[in-house]
Amino acid sequence: MDEHDLSLRSVTYSLFVKLGRAPTASEVAGSEGLTEVEVASGWQRLHEQHALVLNPATAEIRMANPFSAVPTAYRVQADGRWWYANCAWDAFGICAALHVDGRIETSCPDCGEALTLEVRDEQPDDESLLFHCLVPAARWWDDIVFT
Amino acid sequence: MNLFRSEEHIERWLGGREPGATISVGKLSELAHAWWSDRLPPVWQPRTRELNQVVLDRLGLDEPFWQLA
Repeated sequence: MDEHDLSLRSVTYSLFVKLGRAPTASEVAGSEGLTEVEVASGWQRLHEQHALVLNPATAEIRMANPFSAVPTAYRVQADGRWWYANCAWDAFGICAALHVDGRIETSCPDCGEALTLEVRDEQPDDESLLFHCLVPAARWWDDIVFT
Repeated sequence: MNLFRSEEHIERWLGGREPGATISVGKLSELAHAWWSDRLPPVWQPRTRELNQVVLDRLGLDEPFWQLA
């Protein structure tokens, strides 16, 4: 990953956190003095290197892990905002990336019962819950949205 | 990658599918903080697969399921 793509990635993440949502190519282009085409091609290279995930249908950002650009079953309140995480791992990851405490809201995929966790000093307040990862690590990126 | 109430809920949700790996939510939080805490600073550099594997290994996630390749 060259320094231009590292810079593009950094600006993209920074805007995601500032805006509380995925930035558009136009917004990133405007802040970096790039064209939208340059941003889009840079995002494609970052996607290929698993540094972010694009929506295949629109080339917009789908994931800037651990953040999700689209609504998911994992909502996280952290740093004064509500965020969507891509999965349970990423829900804790949002607190980790922002270096703040937080609140995670989801539901048990089996019974549908609401699950709420407070994360304080990197620790969940309910240790009784379990995390299940279905896909082996070697296949996570075969289909990262499914994973 | 989901949270569940208990092993019983995981088993029922799997419905006969091959199970993956289950860890405590406390271990998950440790993993997430080790994995994601460096994500936002501008000096971030991509981690190699080997370094990612070290993160998993250090948390005791060293079974074949957690091997990145």
